Amino acid sequence: MEDIGSQIKELVELNKQHITLFNKEIEINDSIILMWIVMAVLIIFALVFTRKLKTIPEGKQSFIEVVVEFVNNFTKDNVGHHWKIFSPFIGTVLLFLIVSNTIAIFNIIPSGHDLYRLTHIEFFKEFHFELHPPTKDVNVTLGMAILSMIAVLVSGIKVKKISGWLKSFLEPVPLMLPFKILDYFIRPVSLCFRQYGNILGAVIVMKLAYTAMPLVFPGVISIYFDLFDGILQAYVFCFLTCLYIGEAIE
Amino acid sequence: MNNMIAFAAAICVLTGAAVGIGISIATGKAVESVARQPEAADKIRNVVVLGAALAEATAIYGFVIALMLILFK
Repeated sequence: MEDIGSQIKELVELNKQHITLFNKEIEINDSIILMWIVMAVLIIFALVFTRKLKTIPEGKQSFIEVVVEFVNNFTKDNVGHHWKIFSPFIGTVLLFLIVSNTIAIFNIIPSGHDLYRLTHIEFFKEFHFELHPPTKDVNVTLGMAILSMIAVLVSGIKVKKISGWLKSFLEPVPLMLPFKILDYFIRPVSLCFRQYGNILGAVIVMKLAYTAMPLVFPGVISIYFDLFDGILQAYVFCFLTCLYIGEAIE
Repeated sequence: MNNMIAFAAAICVLTGAAVGIGISIATGKAVESVARQPEAADKIRNVVVLGAALAEATAIYGFVIALMLILFK
């Protein structure tokens, strides 16, 4: 039992890579490297899918048009009038969160110990890197939540102008002022912990499943915990961001 | 001391029971209203996802606090 407890503790704590560059040792969090991987995947996909666009879509272009259409409709339904400014932002956040939440299904990197036994290269002895969702780190999700709150603030100020935005704090009754101010602090916290708790819970459950019964069983429940839960949480995050923006520019 | 921490963590995770009941009631009502008015299914789906996400946050808070109790004591 002690063994699995320490394994789970390892999952919750942040793993760091030590890289020596120009005789200086640099520490980089795993979640940053994972986010770089997600960004690279998204950029490569964007470059590949948007090459040679035609008026009449065919093949991969029709796929990407479906995705863009979905994001546009999603934003139009939830934000309202000014959806055209926000749909690129919402789409980017949605794609980023979907890829980063479901990245665990590609976790096929062998552990450093196995690599050392195979190749006998000293470097791999200390090597420890796994493809976990970067959103299991609370700092990443807090960053995303603050980003969406900044979007809410900026959109409110831009659409209503400063005087209208300040006036919106006193509507419908001035008594609501403290709650309206509190909203700006509670919303990012709730957005952040929702994403973090869900993804961390899914990662821990998957770890338990891998240790308890490595055959077939993890593959079946991975469909729920990795794919469905990840996509649903990304959807909910964007949905709530849309609602907050829609409320701010109303 | 360790026993007490385990007990406290177990109580924290009990929030899941209440949230389970809450989300099931919401989903049941949604199914009822979709059966009554199939043309409003899209709007109902959005509302249910929002409600479930908001209700679920409570369970997540309990889970996060339980984790903190056990790991960062």
